Amino acid sequence: MKILVTVKEVAEVEDEFEISGDDIAEQYLEYDLNEWDDYAVEEAVQISEEAEDVEVVTATIGPERAEETIRMALAKGADRAVRVWDDDIESASYLDVEAKAELLAAVVEEEDPDLVLTGVQAGDESNGATGVTLAEKIGFEWAAVVNQLDLDIEGGVANVHRELEGGVEELTEVESPAVLTIQSGINEPRYASLRGIRQAQSKPLDVQTLDDIGLDADVLESPLAQTDLYEPESEGDATVWNGDAEETAGQLAEFLRDKGVVEG
Amino acid sequence: MDFELPEGIDQIRKEIRRFGENEIEPVAKKYDREEKYPHEVMDKANEMGLLGASIPVEYGGAGYSVLETSIICEELFAIDPGIGFCIVASSFGTEAIQEFGTEDQKAEFLEPVARGEKISGAAISEPHAGSDVSSISTRAEKDGDEYVINGNKMWISNGSIGDFFVVLCQTDPDAEGRYNGFSQIIVESDRDGFEADKIKGKLGIRASDTAELIFDDVRVPEENVVGTEGMGFLQQMQFFDATRVGVAAQGVGLAKGAADRALEYAQEREQFGQPISEFQAIQHKIAEAYTDIEAARNLTYKGAWAVDQGEQITKLASMAKEYGSRVAVDVANEAVQIHGGAGYVDDFDAERFYRDAKILQIYEGTTEIQKNIIARELLGKGMS
Ligand SMILES: Cc1cc2nc3c(=O)[nH]c(=O)nc-3n(C[C@H](O)[C@H](O)[C@H](O)COP(=O)(O)OP(=O)(O)OC[C@H]3O[C@@H](n4cnc5c(N)ncnc54)[C@H](O)[C@@H]3O)c2cc1C
Repeated sequence: MKILVTVKEVAEVEDEFEISGDDIAEQYLEYDLNEWDDYAVEEAVQISEEAEDVEVVTATIGPERAEETIRMALAKGADRAVRVWDDDIESASYLDVEAKAELLAAVVEEEDPDLVLTGVQAGDESNGATGVTLAEKIGFEWAAVVNQLDLDIEGGVANVHRELEGGVEELTEVESPAVLTIQSGINEPRYASLRGIRQAQSKPLDVQTLDDIGLDADVLESPLAQTDLYEPESEGDATVWNGDAEETAGQLAEFLRDKGVVEG
Repeated sequence: MDFELPEGIDQIRKEIRRFGENEIEPVAKKYDREEKYPHEVMDKANEMGLLGASIPVEYGGAGYSVLETSIICEELFAIDPGIGFCIVASSFGTEAIQEFGTEDQKAEFLEPVARGEKISGAAISEPHAGSDVSSISTRAEKDGDEYVINGNKMWISNGSIGDFFVVLCQTDPDAEGRYNGFSQIIVESDRDGFEADKIKGKLGIRASDTAELIFDDVRVPEENVVGTEGMGFLQQMQFFDATRVGVAAQGVGLAKGAADRALEYAQEREQFGQPISEFQAIQHKIAEAYTDIEAARNLTYKGAWAVDQGEQITKLASMAKEYGSRVAVDVANEAVQIHGGAGYVDDFDAERFYRDAKILQIYEGTTEIQKNIIARELLGKGMS
């Protein structure tokens, strides 16, 4: 069995930052593996540890810098990695969900996996749409926001719990090949072990261009363009009290009294 | 200057920081205050494969070089020197088994340490023999195919929680030459006649375990001798380059941890209507701290790299150890100063780093001994 996990390197912003042009100034950014993808990788690796002959391949769209992050997924137990990038992608003005799903669909076509795991969303853009759009494109069954997964490999069925609005849970069966978008909290992602980090240096990491995956630069065209980036004005304040219930309840009561919400 | 950082080192740094933030920082103060060995953190460190990083892959370790283990050490000490020490010290003494041990000894003693099932220690110092190692008097007498050990070892890290120790003993008191007649012998802590007495009240690295070991007719089989009988002291000396570079790395990490905290505090704390980081006096402290750390780091990495190339670097290792530990003490001192009153209490980490720093100038050869060695090498005098 083969599991493809899509992973993204996301930019994380420090508490204090400045905007330069249409972006956050580079010196305030740090790059890391997208949090949700970490759970997806863990889920795939756990499956590969429990069953025989499971190959875990990661797929990413990203520049060379992203290799450090991809290697982290390899260090945690993925077997090999595919990274799609070339000059056209580099110079594309905006990579929208449609274009990303198109690129990933081409990778899926090449790899022919039984299961595709994606994160529910990426921490930077938070579209929460790439996984599902990918499923539509490749015609796989899908389930979004999966927070429990029980795989019947023989039967080709994934029994999943999905988290719906308002804390409602749905139990469904999805037939493979399938795309599942993985919710954080589904498992406890491991730390990459020192041994794993060492081994990851020699695991295969293929770089593929648009041409390699049978696409041309047209797929990058987007009706969307980013026009501005600004920090919203805060319109209210939140106060957080720490401590036990007795202590914090007292502070809350005092606060409500001060603000005139309650009397007495 | 042709040394390079190894591949994958950024990932190692990043993952250790993540581990430190989640698993060490929240509990560091507690273990320091309670002077308690952090078994729970050690279990988690083991899951991450942080224990026995230098043990070869074929014995279950990660097979990391001296340079890589130095960088691991640096990162851990920047998070918390006490717990960081526990992690790096969990395989103390095994370097002798790696280098001189038999296949049976390697399988029996290295593998469980690499798997995190056993903790080891190195027992050299004695109540009456610290800097003057060659005056140790713990005696191992041959009796048939066993050794009978009597004596006391002092200040032994992991002493009351360790499973076995590589103990430097005198096996032939009549041997000619100051450095002959000693042997490294593995002693398991469950042998009859072995006792460990935990030493309490340490100034710093209080999460770590330190004990006095008492050997009262402890019998071990002759298979427990590591390497060649009578050559123990000279074997031991071969690791000084690596272990001293290791302490230098501890110093770099500790200083970085203290400086980072001071830098953060200086930007938050306001006096006279501005952050104290606006005052030139504070800026200079910070500038000097980071400059010293960078210098110590380069000295350390160069030393570590040279050890990995198989070079003998007695002088360089002593320079790195002496300078790295001095920078740690100085920077931790300035970090407290930058914190003002807040640096004098345990609300902030600065106070703990200040207390932790001092040990680096004492163990693995004091500052004075390092300077003696550097001068001896410069003056072209051999060991006497
Ligand atoms: C927390 C802790 C952990 C330790 N862990 C271990 C361990 O795991 N295994 C182990 O074997 N040991 C361990 N030690 C012991 C440590 O290595 C010794 O404390 C150290 O070598 C100094 O020896 P000493 O304490 O006997 O001091 P002394 O040798 O008595 O030194 C006292 C002072 O005299 C100075 N001095 C001594 N000789 C000279 C000289 N020739 N020239 C100039 N000055 C000199 C010293 O520099 C020092 O300032 C540990 C110690 C501590 C505190």
